[in-house]
Amino acid sequence: MQFGIFTVGDVTPDPTTGRTPTEAERIKATVAIAKKVEEVGLDVFATGEHHNPPFVPSSPTTLLGYVAAQTERLILSTSTTLITTNDPVKIAEDFDVLQHLSDGRVDVMLGRGNTGPVYPWFGQDIREAVPLTVERYELLRRLWREPVVDWEGRFRTPLQGFTVTPRPLDDVPPFVWHASIRTPEIAELAAYYGDGFFANHIFWPASHTQRMVAVYRSRFEHYGHGTAAQAIVGLGGQVFIRPRSQDAVAEFRPYFDNAPVYGHGPSLEEFMAQTPLTVGSPEEVIERTLGFREYVGDYQRQLFLVDHAGLPLKTVLEQLELLGGEVVPVLRKEFEAGRPADVPEAPTHESLVAAVRREQAAGSDDAGQDS
Amino acid sequence: MTQIVVVTGGLRQPSSTRLLADRIDAAVRAELGRSGLPVTSSFVELRPLGRAIMDAMLTGFAVPELEFAFETVAAADGVIAVTPAFNASYSGLFKSFFDVLPAETLADMPILIAASGGTDRHSLVLEHALRPMFSYLHAIVSPTGVYAATDDFGGQARASGLAVRIQKAAADFVRLMTACGTRTPRDTFNEELDEMTRLLADRQPGPSSGHVED
Repeated sequence: MQFGIFTVGDVTPDPTTGRTPTEAERIKATVAIAKKVEEVGLDVFATGEHHNPPFVPSSPTTLLGYVAAQTERLILSTSTTLITTNDPVKIAEDFDVLQHLSDGRVDVMLGRGNTGPVYPWFGQDIREAVPLTVERYELLRRLWREPVVDWEGRFRTPLQGFTVTPRPLDDVPPFVWHASIRTPEIAELAAYYGDGFFANHIFWPASHTQRMVAVYRSRFEHYGHGTAAQAIVGLGGQVFIRPRSQDAVAEFRPYFDNAPVYGHGPSLEEFMAQTPLTVGSPEEVIERTLGFREYVGDYQRQLFLVDHAGLPLKTVLEQLELLGGEVVPVLRKEFEAGRPADVPEAPTHESLVAAVRREQAAGSDDAGQDS
Repeated sequence: MTQIVVVTGGLRQPSSTRLLADRIDAAVRAELGRSGLPVTSSFVELRPLGRAIMDAMLTGFAVPELEFAFETVAAADGVIAVTPAFNASYSGLFKSFFDVLPAETLADMPILIAASGGTDRHSLVLEHALRPMFSYLHAIVSPTGVYAATDDFGGQARASGLAVRIQKAAADFVRLMTACGTRTPRDTFNEELDEMTRLLADRQPGPSSGHVED
């Protein structure tokens, strides 16, 4: 099972000091966080993509390329890459270059974005979001799998005799996750192609996640990619940890109360009861996170949000120390213990290359038998 | 069994909005009873849901007690919606409930609109505020609403009296409900899934597997 961090990339004033980091500070802090993720023994760092203030990550592969150069093991991902407003040609090119630079330590999480004006800013219509997603993703897949593409569609200028360069590393494209909060279409899309499905999970009741993952799993099986239990599931999580539970609550409360997404509404205690947010000791975080399995089944990837709402870098790095030092080692052991043998790990570049080689070997065996 | 749900936005105890709602509910049930239709009714009081409604506005999701209210409304065969008249419109709480109610919950729903107010000078609030909102939500709004001013509760029983107006509104509403027939609640979750399945089926290449290990 993979563990990691996903970041939104918000520039938010620290409510305890009133100070807002500069964009430069926030971007450099994001790099420091990513490097720390590897240092403390976690597996994945995923950055958001936004094209409006108060967010900074408008160019995810630039950031991830810089992180790739300073890490060795870390899997670089996104949370999410906007399939609706990015040109699939540019997505294919950017992630191919990143794949080569990082020796295959890349996957991509596709999403639709949640800021209405982003669509018109990039020449698209939000009312067409679903057909746009289907068409663009199909093109992206072809660009990654076919050396020369002839293509025509509704939402982009046609391509005749187009070859994406560079080709994917080892001719194996990055693994794709499709992310959604509560859009069943995305679960269906992920299931149709046998891709991964990432449920945002945070800020929402677990019942939403449970329903979406159930749809994805059953449709994954329906489309013949394996059993429902073998579908590739990722979940978000949101934690704030201190050795003593009451310290965690006291320190996090001002950040919670003023957070842009959910602040000034329910209390911290109510929100913890209603959503996966866990503020407390390492033991409490471990217990809650292990509970996720009860409503989504054995899953492959757990990403935590730890760096939003104005939390200072120093605090975030301490959170990562606690996650890597005390929480994740126990989670790895416990999740592994209950895992049936036929439930796969999250695909990596190595496992995907190996699968292709096996298929090719099986193919040439068949050819040999035929002749 | 015909299920009537009464959504009432009164703020005080006792509430003249609730008093009006009770009388309309009784008249509608009696009218349905005369048509030989078995009927039950339940109330969704908005005041106890005040915080839940505002939290849903801020967080985007409903806590269980509000979710239960949504399900109650969704399962109705007809809705009676009653609000106090505030500042030439419905109350903010009343509007907020319908702002957080999931889209299409009221689609094809027969609805009887009613309002209470301090004086009868506000009676057009039914036509200028409630009717357009419920039309926008794709409800089928009964032509006759009921407006009750404080004075109405002390008014003499006469041709234009409150009791007669309630009776007329209830009779019209029951005729509308009967004509509309059985209502099938919308299931947007599965509608969206089916739409996606159709879209994907129209794509050229079929699904390809490959990464799941045997």
